[in-house]
Amino acid sequence: MAPPRGEVLQGTLDLIVLQTLHAMGSLHGYGIAQRVQQVSGDLLKLNQGTLYPALLRLEQRGWISSKWGASENNRKARFYSLTRAGRKQLLAETASWKRMTALMTRLLGGTQGA
Amino acid sequence: MDWLRISASRLLSLFRKRELDRDLDAEVRAHLEMLTAENIRRGMSPEDARHAARREFGGLEQAKELYREQRGLPFLDHFMQDVRFALRSLGKRPGFTLVAVFTLAIGIGANTAIFTAVHSVLLQSLPFPKADRLAIVWSTLGTEGRAPASGPELAMLSQQTRLFEDLGAIWAQSGALTGEGEPEQVRLGMVTANFFGILGTAPQVGRYFEPGEQGPGSPRAMIISDGLWHRRFGADPRWIGKTVRLNGQSVTMVGVMPPGFRIIFPEGSSVPPEMDAYVPFRSNFASSPADQSYLRVIGRLRVGVTITQAQQEVDTLAAQIRAQYPTFADPPLTLQVVPLQGDVVRNIRPALLALFGGAGLVLLIACVNVANLLLVRANERTLEMAVRTAIGAGRGRLIRQLLTESVLLSCCGAVAALGFGWCALKLVLAMQPKEMERFSTIQMNPLVFVFTFIVAIVVGALFGLAPALGTRKLDLARSLKDNRQTCTRSGGRQRNLLVISEVALGFVLLIGAGLMLRTFVRLLQVNPGFDATNVLTFRISVASVKYQSPDAAVQFFRKLKENLSQMPGVETAGVISHLPFDDTLPNWYGFYWRDGASKHDQNTTMADLRSSLPGYFKSMGATFLSGRDFDDHDVAENLKLAIVDDTVAKESWAGQDVVGKLINIENGNFVRDTAQVIGVVKHMQYHTLTDQVRGQIYLLYPQAIRAHMAVTLKSSSSTQTLLPLIRQQVASLDKDLPIYQVEPMTDYVESARRQTRFVTLLAGIMGGIALLLACIGIYAVTMYSVLQRMREIGVRTALGAAPRQLFALVLRQSMLPIALGLLAGFALALLLTPFLSSLLFGVRPTDISTFCVGALILSTAGLIACLLPARRATRVDPVIALRYE
Repeated sequence: MAPPRGEVLQGTLDLIVLQTLHAMGSLHGYGIAQRVQQVSGDLLKLNQGTLYPALLRLEQRGWISSKWGASENNRKARFYSLTRAGRKQLLAETASWKRMTALMTRLLGGTQGA
Repeated sequence: MDWLRISASRLLSLFRKRELDRDLDAEVRAHLEMLTAENIRRGMSPEDARHAARREFGGLEQAKELYREQRGLPFLDHFMQDVRFALRSLGKRPGFTLVAVFTLAIGIGANTAIFTAVHSVLLQSLPFPKADRLAIVWSTLGTEGRAPASGPELAMLSQQTRLFEDLGAIWAQSGALTGEGEPEQVRLGMVTANFFGILGTAPQVGRYFEPGEQGPGSPRAMIISDGLWHRRFGADPRWIGKTVRLNGQSVTMVGVMPPGFRIIFPEGSSVPPEMDAYVPFRSNFASSPADQSYLRVIGRLRVGVTITQAQQEVDTLAAQIRAQYPTFADPPLTLQVVPLQGDVVRNIRPALLALFGGAGLVLLIACVNVANLLLVRANERTLEMAVRTAIGAGRGRLIRQLLTESVLLSCCGAVAALGFGWCALKLVLAMQPKEMERFSTIQMNPLVFVFTFIVAIVVGALFGLAPALGTRKLDLARSLKDNRQTCTRSGGRQRNLLVISEVALGFVLLIGAGLMLRTFVRLLQVNPGFDATNVLTFRISVASVKYQSPDAAVQFFRKLKENLSQMPGVETAGVISHLPFDDTLPNWYGFYWRDGASKHDQNTTMADLRSSLPGYFKSMGATFLSGRDFDDHDVAENLKLAIVDDTVAKESWAGQDVVGKLINIENGNFVRDTAQVIGVVKHMQYHTLTDQVRGQIYLLYPQAIRAHMAVTLKSSSSTQTLLPLIRQQVASLDKDLPIYQVEPMTDYVESARRQTRFVTLLAGIMGGIALLLACIGIYAVTMYSVLQRMREIGVRTALGAAPRQLFALVLRQSMLPIALGLLAGFALALLLTPFLSSLLFGVRPTDISTFCVGALILSTAGLIACLLPARRATRVDPVIALRYE
């Protein structure tokens, strides 16, 4: 059973958030949502509310940390940033994701060729 | 380690829920505001911008709930919610809650009390280090097992054993402490030097005996109890190493046992738990006579050795002993190794287990009652459940809620049960049966608390299940529409089932109590062979050097008896070496045979050997079947005289005239003698009221001197009146002789009934509770069904049913499950009562009259419980009943 088109798998959402924070530095929830939308275009349909349980999960694991600060237009917002453990996790996950996609590409490419 | 960090974070978050909720709100609000601002910037109207933002964000509450579940422990969250809700809903119905908690407190409390006793007596090990390695070695005397061993047996065992770390023995005696202060009679334990080392209890002051302090010619040493140390020596440690006078000899005090130290030997082993002083044996076991059996042998097994292995070794040693000593060849000696703990509890175990079973049944009945209450409540709550289902509670959630309620209820019950159980335990201990006396520490401990709460939780889940499963049959639409109480057929069937099981369980308990009661009544009716009423007894010992010549002892007791019998109000006085049902001093018993018996018949039958002065039989109201009592003209120098009981007479000379016959007996200190029978008395029960253990042979005191004697006084005066006079008489003969153990004979008889009285009383209480609970249950079920059928009854009345008919209808329908319950109870009781047989006396476990009376009592009680609801049915006003709708 494939997930509905455009829905985000839990594991991938974690990786996306980590990568976003890696690329952008400290960012609040809204910022992360915007960035994800921006990068993925319409390919990914993110229910922005689901971002928060994911952020909490990552924080519980110690991969990201958060603190309160002021947003660009001076709103009180919570800013998330990557921790050392998070950076390591990102590297590990990126590597394994690459391995996986390489494998899938080879596999699917082979099917096509036959 | 990740899971640890996550659980910690989740757990911590539980404590700052409100703060974290505020943070989440702020964060989400900021997000929405930024989204809205962005949308306005793109040119939407503020209204549209807000809606678009909400859409993009997705389900707001859903996201928050997801977040909260991620944050805390959802299981615990729901649980706390359930508990809060349950507390609220129980608090709303205080009547229901009170009745349920009270019922459970009785059911669980009974179990708590009995479990405390079971745990302390049967499960907890004895208060000696590594007590599981302690074992008793019983010998045989003739054909009797569980007998003490002789010196050569102990010597052989201790020298040859490889599986026992050490073996020792004890022999209870009594002695007199004289010298400074009042003379005092002390219970004296003769022990092997290694005895305390085997038990593993060290003296609190001083030291153990040393090996050199045992045997002939060794220095005399003594270890005393903490009680004696305080009483006589002012708890002064400087007494250690000093000498005191014991039985006229100087002995050195070498140690004091710790407070509360008890020697825990089995009932009937003639080793009382508390002794005042201990001295080592002075005989050489290996060369002492093989036919003198008095040593109660205890050993400590080596680590890892099982009782079976030890038994095998002891069997081999017994064979060696048989080969070496002809005395032990025929009848062949056997030795038996038993674990100390198992042996100590062997008499009380069946009683405690039976009571435990009974308490379990009481609990089941209590459960059934509470389950019934919950069912009724579940019916009332159909609407509530339907509403909760309609707004999205899953079935699992509903069941969890109901189970939480019932477990909470039973936990409240458990708390009350601890209080109730504590009182019940006090009651149990107040009538402590003899065997439990040996266990000084019967008290509640953490394990009892754990037990109580585990029982409560299991029980709560059990009776909560019935109504919880009922939620399956919830017809939403109908339940919501139909706001009135409806009577479903299945609910009625469920309740009938409850009544049936309640009656069946109650019946079993009633029968158990009934059988015990009949046993007790039979025990009261037993004729012990003597009349204990108005007989006062006390003990006196002439163990000191002053009485070393037999004449001195004889003169003393003769004179004492004469003086006592001349006191005002005294009918007769007697002197005897051993009182019935007295287990504080060893019982003398040995082989006897009629003169001229073949060699083979000589070492087969044993009798208790007593020494007495004329007057004992009269004071005890014993019956002479033929011949006469001793009289004052019978003197030591003549032919030895004996009085035998009918058991001995029958065993030796069945059908013949016994008076004048000669009998071979063991006189006093293991000396063989021939005596002429001058009289036959009816057998007296000396050991238990129910078993005839041995016959008895009585010798004339001047011909069988003993140091420890008892005096019996038949008198209508009270103990308080007699006691000063007795003391005066004793002092006028010898001011140094203490009298002790002053007790009416009836107390001894009472103590022989104590275990049965204990079990009977507890069984009776349980039976009573069961009956009461069953009646309450029947009443509740019947009344509820009448109330539910108001409309139907109203219609019947309107159509002309006479009150008498309605009355009969309700009774008929309620008595049916009771009758079925009785049938089931009959079958169950037939199955279970055989387990009681070891506790019963004079009544069969399947005694038909007990069963019939039990059935009669229960059905009458059931009928009474139904009367009120039935009357209620006849008072239904049809108009009101119909308007009810």
